[in-house]
Amino acid sequence: MKKLFNLALGVITSIGGFVEVGSISTSVQAGAEFGFSLLWAIAAATLFLAALAEMAGRVAAVSKRSIAAAVRERFGFNFQVIPLGAEVVIDTLLLTAELGGAAIAVKMLTGIGFQWWILPLGIVAWLVLWLGNFTVIEDGVGLLGIVTLSFVVAAWRLHSDVGPIARGFVPSVPHHDLTRYAFLVVSIVGATVSPYLLNFYASGAIEEKWTEQDLWINRLTAWCGMGFGSTVAMGCLVTAAIVFGPQHVKVDTYEQAAQMFVPVYGRWAIVLFALSLGIGCFGAAVEIALNAGYVLGQAFGWTWGIDKARRDASRFVAAFSLVLLLAVAIATTGFDPLRVTLISVALTVVVMPLVVLPFLVLMNEEEYVGKHTSGPLGNGLLAALTVLGALMAIVVIPLEIFGG
Amino acid sequence: MGRVDGIVIEPRPNQPVHVTALLIGPSALGDRLHPALGRVVRRIEKRFGLDRDRPARVAFADVDEIGAKIRLRLTISETAVAAVEQRLRSWLVRLPGSR
Amino acid sequence: MSTEVRLDRLVGCEVYTGNHRRLGRLEEFRAERRGTGWVITEYVIGAAGLMERLGLGVRLIVGIKRATGYVARWDQLDLSNPERPTLKCAVEQLERR
Repeated sequence: MKKLFNLALGVITSIGGFVEVGSISTSVQAGAEFGFSLLWAIAAATLFLAALAEMAGRVAAVSKRSIAAAVRERFGFNFQVIPLGAEVVIDTLLLTAELGGAAIAVKMLTGIGFQWWILPLGIVAWLVLWLGNFTVIEDGVGLLGIVTLSFVVAAWRLHSDVGPIARGFVPSVPHHDLTRYAFLVVSIVGATVSPYLLNFYASGAIEEKWTEQDLWINRLTAWCGMGFGSTVAMGCLVTAAIVFGPQHVKVDTYEQAAQMFVPVYGRWAIVLFALSLGIGCFGAAVEIALNAGYVLGQAFGWTWGIDKARRDASRFVAAFSLVLLLAVAIATTGFDPLRVTLISVALTVVVMPLVVLPFLVLMNEEEYVGKHTSGPLGNGLLAALTVLGALMAIVVIPLEIFGG
Repeated sequence: MGRVDGIVIEPRPNQPVHVTALLIGPSALGDRLHPALGRVVRRIEKRFGLDRDRPARVAFADVDEIGAKIRLRLTISETAVAAVEQRLRSWLVRLPGSR
Repeated sequence: MSTEVRLDRLVGCEVYTGNHRRLGRLEEFRAERRGTGWVITEYVIGAAGLMERLGLGVRLIVGIKRATGYVARWDQLDLSNPERPTLKCAVEQLERR
């Protein structure tokens, strides 16, 4: 009974924690520029993410090692240094973007310029990590994130015909601007399948002490959590499509995006949008900083864990603190949050094949997944995803230049 | 305690190679990527006064068991492995709210 | 004066035969406890490129049959020059994998 409760909580927190700056910005732009026709991209990216998360959870539950630890042990440091270095760089950039998104949200609520909020938000994020424990952080972020359901409610209240929406789930070639369409497809994938999510999910499984008995919880949390979570991103896209689509508006700022709530929420539009953006981004910021600690601690063999006494895991604490500090420093040099978001999303796609490839091996090694190895279907899927990832990695930079 | 960052062996004439020690520490790890990098890490360690007995060396005689985890016959403070952790800890405990 | 060698730097090193032909790379070392110490008893030499190190998963998909490798006993490999491990015997005397 307790397990069911924890499972429900896990799914709810996944929903609340799903959207952040990358998924909001790509969903809004996708909806505004191409109507419903990119819904399939969100669905496909979510399936990709859920599959990888389930695998990461499987490794963590069976072998009690996270992804970073498993990669270090199985492939050696000389291999790992490349994806590790890339992940730290991407995570720092993404963290900067999230802090930026949260700062813009606060600006929308207070009117005071967003640059002033970067440092305070960074400090609050650090305090959450310094003082909190895993349950508080996970559940807190997730439950507060319920406000992002305003995207789903908005889409629902706008009463569009189901037909065109359903057609959006079928991949199609657009009537205009193929480069831009392709760019958004790749960006949606990059925004959804963030590498930090996989290691974070696995580390969470270890913090919660999952065992081989909990594999069904892992499967349900990964698939239902990500699945339902994606409805928030889809809701965002649908709302943007209905409100901005007809006028072919190109949304360039978050203030503009917030207008999409006006037809549904009237004078609450700005507040609800700001809360959704702010909480989504702030929660992601906390998780990304925490994951930096996880990934470095696991790769280098430090004592790690947010449930450990801080004095027992000083290097881990130093890691997440330094990453936060670095992100705040970059943010205060003056930057365009949307631009940084797009760059981190593009870099995520470039690194993706290197992230997926180790899964292909780990899922077949008994030492990491016991007897729960991937069958030929799972392997085939992973191989296909690696190839797809490689293809996307090749096209993302040109697309960013021509379609961004 | 840490990860095995290096392994020291001793070739001996007309005998099988002896495995002498495990190395733990970022300078050993740096060596693995490139000897120059290992030197850079050692210089940084020296700058912070952390270079005594590093990379930490654990004699293979102290290895109890090798499996998914390697068990040793020592405790963590018995080696120089904990140097960075202890140094950081001495800063951290001064922060309010530390537990 | 005994020389100290870093094992982790030997992994992946190209092994040469007595007449300077390339044999393969040092992939694995097998060690045993003897008394209070541990000694390396065997070396596994193979075509250890990226494919091999990625191993099983990739092979399952691509279906590549593993290239043959060799196992050398401790007395069959000369490590006096750690940058260039060399066979002390003929290739035919090595155990095939």
